[in-house]
Amino acid sequence: MKRVLFSSFAILAAAAFLPGLAAAQEVSQQRIVSGLGKLTAAAPLVDIEVLRQEAMNGAGKQMSGLPNWSKIAQLPQMVVEINFVNDSVAIEPQSYRTLGLLADALHHPDLWAYKFLVIGHASATGDAKHNFELSEQRAAAIKEALSTTFAVEPERLYAVGVGEYFPIDGSNADAANNRRVQLVNLGVFTHKP
Amino acid sequence: MMFNGRMLLATVIVAGIACVGVARAQTISYADAITKLGDDCGADIKKLCSGLNLGNNRIANCLQEKAAKVSPTCKASMASVVASITQREQAQSAYSEVCRGDIAMHCKGIKGDGYILACLNKATKVVSNKCSQTIVDAGWR
Repeated sequence: MKRVLFSSFAILAAAAFLPGLAAAQEVSQQRIVSGLGKLTAAAPLVDIEVLRQEAMNGAGKQMSGLPNWSKIAQLPQMVVEINFVNDSVAIEPQSYRTLGLLADALHHPDLWAYKFLVIGHASATGDAKHNFELSEQRAAAIKEALSTTFAVEPERLYAVGVGEYFPIDGSNADAANNRRVQLVNLGVFTHKP
Repeated sequence: MMFNGRMLLATVIVAGIACVGVARAQTISYADAITKLGDDCGADIKKLCSGLNLGNNRIANCLQEKAAKVSPTCKASMASVVASITQREQAQSAYSEVCRGDIAMHCKGIKGDGYILACLNKATKVVSNKCSQTIVDAGWR
């Protein structure tokens, strides 16, 4: 399998007014809360498997051009950087603190009622199928760390990988800043199916 | 959302976490907890449990298996971090119940958990000591 240069990953979660997704800034709990907490209308129902399929089959299209992803694109989200070991699902230790900050924010009353989608993205360097799988596994690794080590209820977290299919608008798909993770507020968490 | 101290430990690793220097809360945050464990247990983990990923108790299990070789600094740090974060978790879980009366009295009609907390944090002079202490221990003031 092809080795992919894939060392840096970011959690993006941009507010609705930040559709283009700015470069990762230094993360703080206040910024997480203000970035993710701005849900103004009811969030749409999302089906992770539908999103996955839509990403795979919609190659070349922008997120906003796909029926289910376009709904996601409008939800509160932001950008934080999480680094991974090259071509691996192992989170770099220097990113642990960022996960801790996310956990602190998710345990705060400002955000504790909401559920979140972790979206893993890859740059276009390397094999597309491998990138797709790795981005999926990395999104799952973040969900796992948050829901075990940092005690966030697993039912509040969803993870999906979309490989290299959604590069940042106007960027070169090979560029390193396309390796990223998006964190999106999916709306109020209820136990109803 | 009970916190499992062993789980947090499971995450700790190695070095390189530079950004400490945050004000001391009465209980420790997840961010500070993981940073402290990284500082104090990093060398042990690198030596005894390298290559394990964050999450699912992997590193905690490893350190427990090799407890005889774990440094005293790491053991002491683990104990204090786990105690502190457990206290924070308990306060977060107890908050709604402990502050129910204060919310009814001082923040009536306010909707949204974040806004209610903001209201309680504004009304510090009249909020009960028990509720105030719970908010402080929860890391929310």
